[in-house]
Amino acid sequence: MIKFTLKSALALALSTSALIGVANAQGVRENYAPVTNDMVLDPPASEWISWRGTIDNQGFSSLDQINRETVDSLQLAWAWPMADVGLQETAPLMHDGVLFLQTNNNIVQALDARSGDLIWEYRPALAQIPAEWGYQNYQSRRQKNSIALYEDTVVLTTVDARIIVLDATNGKVLREVQAFDYNVGYSYTVGPIVVNGTIISAISGCSISGTAGGCYVVAHDFETLEEQWRFNTLDDPSNPEQQASWGDVPPENRWGGTPWATGSYDPRTNTTFWGVGMPAPYAALVRGSEDGDTLYTNSTLALDADTGELKWYYQHLPRDDWDLDSPFERVLVDIEENGETRHLLVSVPGKNGIFFALDRDTGEYLWSQETVYQNSVSRIDEDGTVHTNEDLMLKALGEEVLICTSVSGGKLWQAGAYSPLTQRFYVPLTEACNVVEATQTEFTAGNATGSMRFGPRVLPEGITEAGLVEAIQVGTTRDEDGGWKVRQRPSMTSSLLTTGGGLVIGGDAGRYVKAWDQETGEVLWEQRLNAPVGGSPMTYELDGEQYLVVPTGFSAAASSISSAFPEIPLPSGTGNSVFVFKLPNSDS
Amino acid sequence: MLPRQLIDMSRPAQGDRIRACVDDTSPGGPLDRAVAQAIADALFLDVEYVPALTGFPINAEGYLAEMEIHLHNDCDLFMGIAVQPSSPFPEWAAMTRPYAEVPFVLVTANPDYDALADIPLGSMIGTALASLGERVFITTMLQRRESERWKRLPYADFDLMTTRLLDGSLQGMVLWEPAWTRILASNSEARDLRVIALDPVPTPVVQVGALISSHDTFLRTEVDAAIEALTRDGTFDAILAELGLGQ
Repeated sequence: MIKFTLKSALALALSTSALIGVANAQGVRENYAPVTNDMVLDPPASEWISWRGTIDNQGFSSLDQINRETVDSLQLAWAWPMADVGLQETAPLMHDGVLFLQTNNNIVQALDARSGDLIWEYRPALAQIPAEWGYQNYQSRRQKNSIALYEDTVVLTTVDARIIVLDATNGKVLREVQAFDYNVGYSYTVGPIVVNGTIISAISGCSISGTAGGCYVVAHDFETLEEQWRFNTLDDPSNPEQQASWGDVPPENRWGGTPWATGSYDPRTNTTFWGVGMPAPYAALVRGSEDGDTLYTNSTLALDADTGELKWYYQHLPRDDWDLDSPFERVLVDIEENGETRHLLVSVPGKNGIFFALDRDTGEYLWSQETVYQNSVSRIDEDGTVHTNEDLMLKALGEEVLICTSVSGGKLWQAGAYSPLTQRFYVPLTEACNVVEATQTEFTAGNATGSMRFGPRVLPEGITEAGLVEAIQVGTTRDEDGGWKVRQRPSMTSSLLTTGGGLVIGGDAGRYVKAWDQETGEVLWEQRLNAPVGGSPMTYELDGEQYLVVPTGFSAAASSISSAFPEIPLPSGTGNSVFVFKLPNSDS
Repeated sequence: MLPRQLIDMSRPAQGDRIRACVDDTSPGGPLDRAVAQAIADALFLDVEYVPALTGFPINAEGYLAEMEIHLHNDCDLFMGIAVQPSSPFPEWAAMTRPYAEVPFVLVTANPDYDALADIPLGSMIGTALASLGERVFITTMLQRRESERWKRLPYADFDLMTTRLLDGSLQGMVLWEPAWTRILASNSEARDLRVIALDPVPTPVVQVGALISSHDTFLRTEVDAAIEALTRDGTFDAILAELGLGQ
């Protein structure tokens, strides 16, 4: 087997990426206006400059030209094929008339946001990963939202664990750093946030054997790319409770804890919030942690953005036994109640679909609410103590249990969106269960640590519709009747977008992009496209016209539960594309 | 369902070559290589070794998709699969009959121990993570009262597990015999370590076979016939003996 040294691979990558960067600089965007730090904190309403539009991860745009009354007049403005095949989970961004589209294998394209014409394309020379490195190759076909815009750059995290800073005007590499060692299994699957001159990112690959004991949220200086701090989700010597929560298992035998969704940031307290995934091996019986909670897996972390110091944590699923990890988007919401502003963090953080509202200044649990059918949590006390369902924890190897939701969720990477118009959080969900069994996995690819067999995804008993969009009323107390649920046969496959036009926009495995009424859940518009709707739809305004961007393509969220809606055949091709809609009567 | 674009649907034009995917990083790699050569010889074919897909547990989300691509595009034989009930492989892969039976062993640093039963209860034993040996060890412990158990830590890095055995953090380690022979060959400090009996834990034995695309029914029949003949004529026993395995 070919062995690479980090130094030689990096040298090769540097030299080749510089060449490619030049070769790919087909065009130059003149007079590009930098994304200032103030814009990151308070983006122009007409733009979409981060994964969820704003750094509080709300997924809301105040644009309202496309609204309840006009949405059924939407027409296709332009479409564009993505640059590579594979799972499509992209999050396009738009600033100053340029649509930045990141696709698999870390290819970034800059398109004219009015016409869809290519301005430049960056194809990184990724470190050659041997074909047999299945995990890394899978991840490279599964990039989610791996770019951020800052000043006149595009900041990219890569499957070979680098951070690359591109010139936003021409796609050339300005600087890069090998943040982690891909040789032991680290890879980036989500993008960073960049704020106050700091790139804050989180590494994946922490279930691979070579990464034992270390999984990190990490900060780099934007200018120098020097590391400023890192926080280890698996090993916090400053917290005896964290150490004890793994029982007799020392850090060198701990895996998991991957923060695989981009975090949010609160400038008021200079705090960044990240979600953390499951422990590995998945079953406590195998990982040896007995009845320990395995902190900080399945937790929300509140970190000081300057130092990485932990301010508080809250664990959403202790003692996870089924790979129901909880890393998904943490959304920051301010609520006026009784003349007082409450600063909340809301989220459906985990695959089991349970909604949580926390006080984001203290981590105090406020309330929670179930969405899809789940049996992994038996109850949550008023003080926020989560009781994992011990009856379904694996008590013997070879024993099978039916756990709901499935390893594919419930909730997955597809992000929910909050609307300040209704004070509701809208979340795309899937009803699904699967059998799990702790099993041996050696001989083939024994260097990952999950050690569990998952059965096919099936609908919970009595449920015939896989897809669910749920609107949850947000406040300091629970209002279970304040929202709505819309069910449908095909599973939901994209993130949601909320707009000032009163719409919730997203799509499904049946290739429909839909606009729901934020108030009622009524479908106001739907359009069938070429493939399951995927990634994260977004919107922007140029020359007085509002555009709606909808990515489509190959979707694991569609295929994993497709047996639940056999009447809707999935395409056999990937079809990864982006469709851009706007209203008629415009001549631009 | 995989996008068909990722699958190489062309008819192979490889003549007398059989492509054997082998994970040389696996302790079983030398065995798999030798067996693939013997099978190819028996079928009057030349063998081409292809690096096997690694990096996943066989049950991980995404692995089976990568494996399906790999098996279709790169391999005629994917060597080194445990032939066992509840195999995770779906209809696109077929398993050959096993070509070897290789045990797990218990290794200790203490010269006073001749079996697990000699190691004080409550001592820490390392086990090869997610292995059949670990599975049998856990199952046996679950059948004993808590006061009559040994503790266990899972290891994915066997060199680290050996280090912990040598520094006294562990009193024993359970790992597949080929992994142990590899450590013996590469770590001079391991020469003072000894294999002892696993009693009262039953000795786990792995049956090793290969995967073949379920489209290749003819190949599977031929390979199974070759495995049967090579088992009967002692070829596989000789390979195991040469590698110091299955003794």
